[in-house]
Amino acid sequence: MLTEAETRLLGILMMVIMLGMGASLTFKDFAIALRKPQGILVGLLCQYGLMPLIAFSLATALALPPAMAIGLILMGCMPGGTTSNIFTYFSKGTLSLSILMTVCSTLVAIVMVPLTLEIYSSGIEGQWQIPRGNIVQVLAVLLVPTVIGIAIRKLNANVGAVIELVGAVLGVFVILFLIGSWVPRNWRLLLDTGFPVYAGSIGLGLVGFVLGYGLSRLLRQDSRRARTIALETGIQNGPLGVLIVLLSFPGPEQQQVLLIPVLYSLFIVLTSSAVTVWFRGITTREELARDQAKIGSVVTAR
Amino acid sequence: MDTTVHELAPWAKRYPDGIDWQLNAPADRSIPAMVAGAARSYGSQRAFTCVMPNGMYGTLTYDEVDRMSDGFAVYLRERLGLAAGARVAVQSPNSLVTPVAAFGILKAGCVLVNVNPLYTEHEMRHQFNDAGVEALVIVDLFADKLERILKDTGVRHVLVSSVPSFFPPVVRHVIKGIMRWWNRVIPATAMQSTRFEAAVADGMRLQRERAIDVSGYWKHLDHGDLAVLQYTGGTTGVAKGAMLSHGNLLWNVDQIIAMGRAKFEPGKEVVLTALPLYHIFAFTANLLAFYKAGGRNILVPSPRPIQNLQRAIENYRVTWISGVNTLYNALMNEEWFHAFPPKHLKAAIGGGAAMHASVVKRWEQMTGCRLLEGYGLTETSPLVCFQPMSGPPKTDSIGIPAPRTEVRLVDDNGNEVAQGEPGELIVRGPQVMQGYWNQPEETAKSLRNGWFHTGDVAVMDDDLTFRIVDRKKDMIIISGFNVYPNEIEEVIAAHDKVMEAAIVGVPDARTGETVLAYVVKRDPTLTEEELAAHCRSHLTGYKVPSRYIFRDELPKTPIGKILRRDLRKEAVGQQQKQTA
Repeated sequence: MLTEAETRLLGILMMVIMLGMGASLTFKDFAIALRKPQGILVGLLCQYGLMPLIAFSLATALALPPAMAIGLILMGCMPGGTTSNIFTYFSKGTLSLSILMTVCSTLVAIVMVPLTLEIYSSGIEGQWQIPRGNIVQVLAVLLVPTVIGIAIRKLNANVGAVIELVGAVLGVFVILFLIGSWVPRNWRLLLDTGFPVYAGSIGLGLVGFVLGYGLSRLLRQDSRRARTIALETGIQNGPLGVLIVLLSFPGPEQQQVLLIPVLYSLFIVLTSSAVTVWFRGITTREELARDQAKIGSVVTAR
Repeated sequence: MDTTVHELAPWAKRYPDGIDWQLNAPADRSIPAMVAGAARSYGSQRAFTCVMPNGMYGTLTYDEVDRMSDGFAVYLRERLGLAAGARVAVQSPNSLVTPVAAFGILKAGCVLVNVNPLYTEHEMRHQFNDAGVEALVIVDLFADKLERILKDTGVRHVLVSSVPSFFPPVVRHVIKGIMRWWNRVIPATAMQSTRFEAAVADGMRLQRERAIDVSGYWKHLDHGDLAVLQYTGGTTGVAKGAMLSHGNLLWNVDQIIAMGRAKFEPGKEVVLTALPLYHIFAFTANLLAFYKAGGRNILVPSPRPIQNLQRAIENYRVTWISGVNTLYNALMNEEWFHAFPPKHLKAAIGGGAAMHASVVKRWEQMTGCRLLEGYGLTETSPLVCFQPMSGPPKTDSIGIPAPRTEVRLVDDNGNEVAQGEPGELIVRGPQVMQGYWNQPEETAKSLRNGWFHTGDVAVMDDDLTFRIVDRKKDMIIISGFNVYPNEIEEVIAAHDKVMEAAIVGVPDARTGETVLAYVVKRDPTLTEEELAAHCRSHLTGYKVPSRYIFRDELPKTPIGKILRRDLRKEAVGQQQKQTA
């Protein structure tokens, strides 16, 4: 459970992060991306087609109680997280695609999140349902800074670039903030939590990586783009999920429903880091192989 | 006195429109006078904007450049105690530092030495010692190279600048922080040095305190006084310092502006400067000419990778671009460029090395504006010939001589060749250098009877325009036939699947020399057979390459000229290994 002040702080942090996210792109970048939208469309398919389904399947397979299930399904329906951009950068992925996917999935979230949440949480009892109005409200509030960010970038490149940087840094900070403020207060709850909840929190990300990669390759994206889409798929906007829960549930229920979003946020950082190191190794090997081929062609062209 | 057709200035008659043929001597007696004049005319207008790849930028107005270069001049003369005529070098990629340092040095009555920041320590040491450099402004990125050779040179004062110098504070610190802690490209050094910004501030303070009139340092300078030592020879041998006077450069500035008079609006132009300012092309055309005319320079620190130009082109209404073949080629391959070509371009200028016809055609189709090729050398400040804007679109042509420039084509004995025949291009005009610094033999070889011998072979067509055939030294002789690599490179480059190509000649027992082609593919499906068939259908038998070697990239100079001599060395070396 977070205090009112912390909730408000989280809300403000999210707005600045959204501002920074918008400031990372210009209208021109969108125009260029829309000329060949396959990559983004595949990403959106993974984001809103795959992830909610994975979350739902996991919740069902692990027979999670309603309080946990709603948390997991909510996380499955979230748009991409901003930290995916940082992990993509370190894994030597296609950064421009990652940024575009994160921004696009956030822009369409206002429609897609209520839709997917309604579909997949329809089987959950009333008191654990998240009112649609809440979600639309939160997303609308966050959509505004995103668009303002894009406009700022166009007006003044310096201000835009600095805001982008601030947003990126805050994106990392906010997760640490969440973990640091929630975990110490809920030790007992964590120890009492059973395996299924942990499996769900960790599994959502991992299965997201695997299936995101698989679907992209199936839809004929090259291996580097597929790795980028994999990361983008598995990494959801944890803090956004937390914010929605905070605004939708009162005290004691809030504590329960918050469990999975927070656990997810904690573990996704760990699993993403591991996957990033692995992906980076793959990209480096691919680049080396290309260099070898260069040298090879000189040798054979005698 | 032989009065040939070349000396009767027939070009003025043939191409009268849009060019200021009646060019009078520049009114300014020196570059500092020109700089001061520009500040008076354009004061608060933006002169330079340096743009980073992510769009972050810093800007200086004409007034700011004027004040800061005054300050730097005072610093050089009063604080460092340099005498008039002392050589001061600037070694930096394009940044706001370049104009402040260059103009400051000239205002101090000193001689500017432009140094390539990518030089190795060996090359730096040679240039510093050859020129007798006493003070150096160097970018922090390469300070470690300097540290290693400093004691082997006569450089006594080191000023360190950074790429985002003079940017707004927050942005400057972010960029420097990222460069130092994230990218780790700023080396730590133990060298004794002063920060460039601090030197400028110090000089400005001194100027105020002692009420120094900076014009006292340069008022007496005239056209004949040495302004810049511009080193050349990179593609063909050891670097030599061309001595360019104030007159050389000021004349060439006026000649350049005269050629583009038709579309040029003083005070309104915006030029994209991705080419290095330490190379004579951008130095004279972008830094000096556009400055004199009140234009705005959009500086890009590094054109590699080409994506670095994206924000510069998208965020500013660029009206002129100066570039080389490699740059235009790379730009047109970028989706963000060919999907949304810049809308306000008036014209693009091509130079530095031969422009390929295929590149020019594609550009004009894509952007709807002309790509005008010019020709010149470091030794001629640089402009010699230029395609007239009012002329017919003619690829492969370097156009006509600039106003007040005399051009002749001669054979090995110095006699003029017949009309339409190839001959070595020689130049006479106010832009021709004073000679090579401390190299009387080299000077005597190139400057003969007042004419500068370029070493380039050219032909004059019936419409009185010139075409460069190739460099004399790169010519290949096959079975007694003269073959010019350029011609073959153009043919190969015209193939859709080819990005670029370089032709070299290697010794052959049977024919004397034979042709080798190094090719960079644009489309990976390109095969040797396709290329060979393409060449055979466009070239006579002996010109068709005997072998094609595919590469991912070709060795180039910083300005993008393909280093044929490196490829030739490699090819000959491999050949010797095989026969050994």
